[in-house]
Amino acid sequence: MTLSIMLACAGGFSTSMLVERMKDAAKERGMEVNIDATAEGKVDKLIQNIDILLLGPQVGYMEESFKKKYSGHPVAIATIPSMDYGMMNGKKVLADALNLLNK
Amino acid sequence: MEDEEKIIMQLIIHGGDARAYSMKAIQAAEKGEFMEADKLMGEARTSLNKAHDLQTTIIQEEIRGKPTSTTLLMVHAQDHVMNAMTVRDLAQHLIQLREEVHLFHTQKVSQEEIA
Repeated sequence: MTLSIMLACAGGFSTSMLVERMKDAAKERGMEVNIDATAEGKVDKLIQNIDILLLGPQVGYMEESFKKKYSGHPVAIATIPSMDYGMMNGKKVLADALNLLNK
Repeated sequence: MEDEEKIIMQLIIHGGDARAYSMKAIQAAEKGEFMEADKLMGEARTSLNKAHDLQTTIIQEEIRGKPTSTTLLMVHAQDHVMNAMTVRDLAQHLIQLREEVHLFHTQKVSQEEIA
């Protein structure tokens, strides 16, 4: 099954920019991966199909509650560092996300 | 990245950080960790100041005849900053309220102990 990465922020707008950069980075690596963005309020409906959930720094305060809520799901959850987010560093965010799976 | 895009992203980062710090401060106050809440609110203030400085710069440039283009992304960045300001202001009140409730409870408990 194709790996699925979901980015969540307050509205899903600025995150969608980062998604495009991450898709470019995945293409460079020759990887088959689904990357998408959503609003934090919609994660509930999508969690079944997500392997990695990345939170925008502005909703980073929700990381703990998300981890608790989805402890029964095989999903890796992390917050994107502000610097990587602001610089739209798709390469690094993708690399960090993939590292989560090796933990 | 182009300069304009950089400014937009910085507004989003600092606004976003300020909001996250404010929310974390509320969470700390809910646990009775008021020193921590205070520290986090300080961080929120610092982030918002950075965003505010950027806003001032681009507004001044606009007055000097060098306007920043009003893209949807720029409007969104402004949303982030304004939203962070609201959350910060309300967080301040919520934390104060938590502190009062906390104080009330501890006083009540000690009075009951005396009685």
